[in-house]
Amino acid sequence: MIGALVVWPIGQDVAPITLAGDVKKGGYLARASGCIACHTNFEGGGKPLAGGVKLDTPFGALYSANLTSDPELGIGGWTVEEFAKAVRQGISPEGEPYYPAFTYPFYANFSDQDIADLYAAFQTVKAVPEAAPANEMPFPFNQRWGLKVWRAAFLKQPATDPISGQDPEWNRGRELVGGATHCAACHTPRNLIGARKSADEHFAGNPSLPGGSKAPAIDYNTLRKRDWTVDSLAYALKTGIMPDGDTFGGSMNEVVQQGTRFLTNEDRRAMAVYLMDDHSGG
Amino acid sequence: MAKKILIPSVLIAFIGVAAMAHNGATGIVKERMDGMSAMGKAVKALTPIMRGAVEYDADKVRSAADVMIKHAGEQMISLFPEGTGGMPSSALPAVWDNWEEFSKISNELKAYAEGMKIAAGNGLAEDAVEQDDAMMGGSNDTMMGETSEDTMGGGTMGAETMITAEMFATMPVDTAFASVAQTCSACHQKFRAKEN
Repeated sequence: MIGALVVWPIGQDVAPITLAGDVKKGGYLARASGCIACHTNFEGGGKPLAGGVKLDTPFGALYSANLTSDPELGIGGWTVEEFAKAVRQGISPEGEPYYPAFTYPFYANFSDQDIADLYAAFQTVKAVPEAAPANEMPFPFNQRWGLKVWRAAFLKQPATDPISGQDPEWNRGRELVGGATHCAACHTPRNLIGARKSADEHFAGNPSLPGGSKAPAIDYNTLRKRDWTVDSLAYALKTGIMPDGDTFGGSMNEVVQQGTRFLTNEDRRAMAVYLMDDHSGG
Repeated sequence: MAKKILIPSVLIAFIGVAAMAHNGATGIVKERMDGMSAMGKAVKALTPIMRGAVEYDADKVRSAADVMIKHAGEQMISLFPEGTGGMPSSALPAVWDNWEEFSKISNELKAYAEGMKIAAGNGLAEDAVEQDDAMMGGSNDTMMGETSEDTMGGGTMGAETMITAEMFATMPVDTAFASVAQTCSACHQKFRAKEN
């Protein structure tokens, strides 16, 4: 049984991507997607995207990978198709599934153009010839075939597709919130084996994030009850300042400082519009 | 339906616990909580001014800055003697495990609040409401720059970059305010247990 799982092929072939990438757009998408936030060890003074950020999960400790252009220890040797498979499907060039600590399920709908842009941007990252520390996952979580079962059970399409009848701003918010900015990764609770309980606890908060912090509920009812408005939420994504004059703590500080503050006012506003609206079922 | 009712009641319970915790604080813990609240009020008062939502008033900015100057730096540090963590305090043990860093951020907050006071006379950035991205090294400048460092994570205003008084003297006040707020948030990330 396990033998079959080990060789069970996963993922889909990626059709050749020949589009020219735009470095600026790729950089913007990388910011929005949190690549830089999670793959840069700010605490330890690490170089941009050299990885090594420790994530203490209930299953063991993971370290973010080196995503610099180093051909051996980074991703400099990857083809754009290998890159696409990693980002959209969570599968390494060797065909191994990544742990879902890497938020690839949110990136599944990135277009070929998005991928080409990201790829072009990553090409510009200075190579850092340092290996990220090895993961400390005990048995059985160090068995990657287990992730194949996990994928089969839990991998779902992200909610990024436009809903007809909604205005472009709302749909842009949906694209960002459900995709690149992957809000649900922290703000939706997870089950015992780390899958999001999206069906009935979407955005209900997570009391036990990796590392011991908590993420509050951000469903629209809660946001409204806590006096958020589209305006104040968009501003908080830029500055970290909340309506009561307090500021974000926890990892949300990092989200703002390394991510959302770099977005355009229009995109932050679109996220806020979507988050503050009843988007259940859409 | 049951779940829809359950979630808010859990939240209410949580808010209740938080309120009790705050009320239960006495002595030095209460004193520092009051200081934090005063600074929060100052930030709240400053926000509409910095966003250009109300008419700019340099004196209001200066007096809010004074509140922060008063409660930051040595004053704040002195209110965190060892052994005053744990309930009802929201301070994490990290405060005392990383005392040097905690002190550094407290002092930075004071320096930045002083800077904001200096910058009060400069007013807001041109068209602050429209272009306020620029205040923290915004999208077009920092992130989408032409060099590799700027595009993909380098060149951002790192925690180690200390802003000097001379820089504040010519800085739009909303840029200075952003530095103050960033200091609050950075400290809360590392040293405060409370969720938000």
